[in-house]
Amino acid sequence: MMDVKRVISKIEKNYIINNLRKQERIDGRGLWDYRKFKIQSDIISSAEGSADVSLGETRIITGLKYEVGEPFPDLPNEGVCTVMAELLPLASPLFERGPPDEQSIELARVVDRGIRHADCVQTKKLCIKENEAVYILFVDMYVINYDGNLIDAGGISALTTLISAHIPEGKIENGNLEWTGKYFTGESIVNELPIVITYGKIGDIVFLDPNLPEELVCDGRISISVTEDKITSIQKSGAATFSIDELKMLGDKSLEIGKKLRKDLNLWQYKAKYK
Amino acid sequence: MENDKDQTEELDEFEDEETTRDLVVPGEVLTEDTKNFLPGRGTILNKERDKIISLSIGLKQIKKNYINVIPLRGFYTPRPGDKAIALVVDKNPVKYKCDINAKDYAQLKPKNTVRKGRIRGGRGKDFEQERLSTDKFDIGDILVVKILSADRLNKPELTTIGKYLGKKSNGIVISIDPPKIPRVIGRSGSMIKMLKNLTNCNIFVTQNGRIWLKGEDLAHERLVIESIYKIASEAHIVGLTDRMQEFIIKEKEKRGIK
Amino acid sequence: MPLIIKDEYPEVLFREDGKRLDGREKNELRPIKMEVGVIKNADGSAYLEWGDNKIFAAVYGPREVHPHHLAKPDRGILRVFYRMATFSVFDRKRPAPGRREKEISMIISDCIEPILFLELYPGTSFEVFIEVINADGGTRCASTTVAALALADAGIPMKSLVSAVAVGKIDGKIVVDLSGIEDKAGEADLPCAITWYNKEISLLQFDGDMDLNEMSEFLDLAKDALGRIHQIQLEVLKSKFLTIQEKSDEIIVNKENQGES
Repeated sequence: MMDVKRVISKIEKNYIINNLRKQERIDGRGLWDYRKFKIQSDIISSAEGSADVSLGETRIITGLKYEVGEPFPDLPNEGVCTVMAELLPLASPLFERGPPDEQSIELARVVDRGIRHADCVQTKKLCIKENEAVYILFVDMYVINYDGNLIDAGGISALTTLISAHIPEGKIENGNLEWTGKYFTGESIVNELPIVITYGKIGDIVFLDPNLPEELVCDGRISISVTEDKITSIQKSGAATFSIDELKMLGDKSLEIGKKLRKDLNLWQYKAKYK
Repeated sequence: MENDKDQTEELDEFEDEETTRDLVVPGEVLTEDTKNFLPGRGTILNKERDKIISLSIGLKQIKKNYINVIPLRGFYTPRPGDKAIALVVDKNPVKYKCDINAKDYAQLKPKNTVRKGRIRGGRGKDFEQERLSTDKFDIGDILVVKILSADRLNKPELTTIGKYLGKKSNGIVISIDPPKIPRVIGRSGSMIKMLKNLTNCNIFVTQNGRIWLKGEDLAHERLVIESIYKIASEAHIVGLTDRMQEFIIKEKEKRGIK
Repeated sequence: MPLIIKDEYPEVLFREDGKRLDGREKNELRPIKMEVGVIKNADGSAYLEWGDNKIFAAVYGPREVHPHHLAKPDRGILRVFYRMATFSVFDRKRPAPGRREKEISMIISDCIEPILFLELYPGTSFEVFIEVINADGGTRCASTTVAALALADAGIPMKSLVSAVAVGKIDGKIVVDLSGIEDKAGEADLPCAITWYNKEISLLQFDGDMDLNEMSEFLDLAKDALGRIHQIQLEVLKSKFLTIQEKSDEIIVNKENQGES
């Protein structure tokens, strides 16, 4: 397609819309097809877990680091898991340098909420000593190439990173923090696998996994996180409106797509090799 | 076909007999014989004046006593007379700001969008108005333009007056690496003719790396787009036209399109 | 609170058989792997794995300068942004760029500038973004090496490539290409880069102590290693086009074979 510009041409917009009306897309997909996922895990030796996820040409590298800190007073026996995202100016001429902008905060927030409300990370297991020491996990996502739908790629990337985790297991002995010699792995931290699924909407057409030109011309998007049988978070963004019937349909669709994706990607294969 | 004749004048330097298959990289010594050879395009004489050195990744070409490097990667530098596909990104009452895939935005003045001859049509007042206002095009329009002037210091100036020039109201634009554009056109237009004939698509190739195309349906257009990307990635290989022809015929069969 | 496993260095940096801890000889480089064209959106890009260093570089330009007041009317400007991912180091790095990153960005920019013809592109900028996603010693040298490759991949006219390597002194012995541990536990560290069109040093820093004999030993060792790195860069740059060529040759060969049968 044409080189990436902030202004998208009218003919490209019409072209995309006209083809979507005929249930066709320029890259050959149907309305409800994902681009291809490519996943690699544990690629960064300095991180306690990592993933390199491509969704079509969109690519995100995520790493996990931990710190030991004091728990929140209202949750004395629970660890913390935070998600951050950086849209590197290296990834697209549309990204600018500087502090995180709305788009990167939204990406981090949506992925974070997908994880938080799905009983994905067992925060109670991240406690070393009640009221004193818990793990604080940092899941940091770096966008390496931007070709639309960062949220879905980010969601899979964060999940794979957590699954591939290997965090040194600590204990408090005589007031000192010590290593037990063992590792916490993703298997013991991660419970549910919430999958974020994003749809674009142009006019009255809804479609799965918008690529960059589609994302730039679409009126809005909706991201739905699903576990095996439940919806755990929804984010509508952009100036589109969705009818009640559409939302019901998308809820159904999401559970179905989530199931298929969970099976196809088989994320548990990326769990850390050692304990 | 819109622009066959127009584009056959383009020289496909990749197929030129003087172009060797020698792949060279920046800093590579092309010759130490500075008595018989002169540094041409994409090359430089070193400080000691005893070597000619390549400035970019490309194919070595010896033409008469010049040594050139035909680049395989690079950006578009506008030259007067070039045809380009421009995207209107901004406008004010006196000019349009256009993206032509070059280092600077180009400007298009309204007087260069209306033919002078029309004043005789008896619509003098309207014409004057049109000549002075920027109502004709909108932000987001795709224009086929000609570069009127371009130099190192000033922003390029465009015109839409001329054969095949003007606004495109349908079809799609794709981009490839500008140095590979001659390859899509082919020697005396052979590649582009072949593409058009086999796919029945309208294709307009411009020097700034952008290609406009429109076919019967998406299936045909997708085949053309894929073929053009394939040409771009294999630009440095000999006998590309024949291989592309074979590729398209085979793909058409595979996809069941006419 | 401290981390559970502490970041500690060994006291001895050589094994009993005289080799370094990772099994290398004194003048041996870590394994280097590079690739160009890895970031589709960029005008030019490259990826490098050098030991445990993993670095992406992307080039955008020539393009308009933002913010506008930085533009120079008589020449283009080169801006390098060297950044490290939070998880690229042992202790999680803060996400915002620190003083170290800004300094290294400047050094790399100064190192690369001589190979470009910036005077030909007045009022524009070339931007090189470098992202270290895994760091293991010598990232400024690795970044310089991969940035040069990304610039060449962008097709920006340049006089030659640039290669960089660090030499240093560990346990009193002079070695090439310090790893992360050697860098932290060693006595001296001399990162340097060479611009190949005039074979002169374009990046040079030094921390530690050396006498004049050692200095010449440092530079000789560096020169030899830089030559090897340059070879790898050239091969990588060409291989992108050669592999496509081989593939198409294969197709032709297959076709011929089919014709016979």
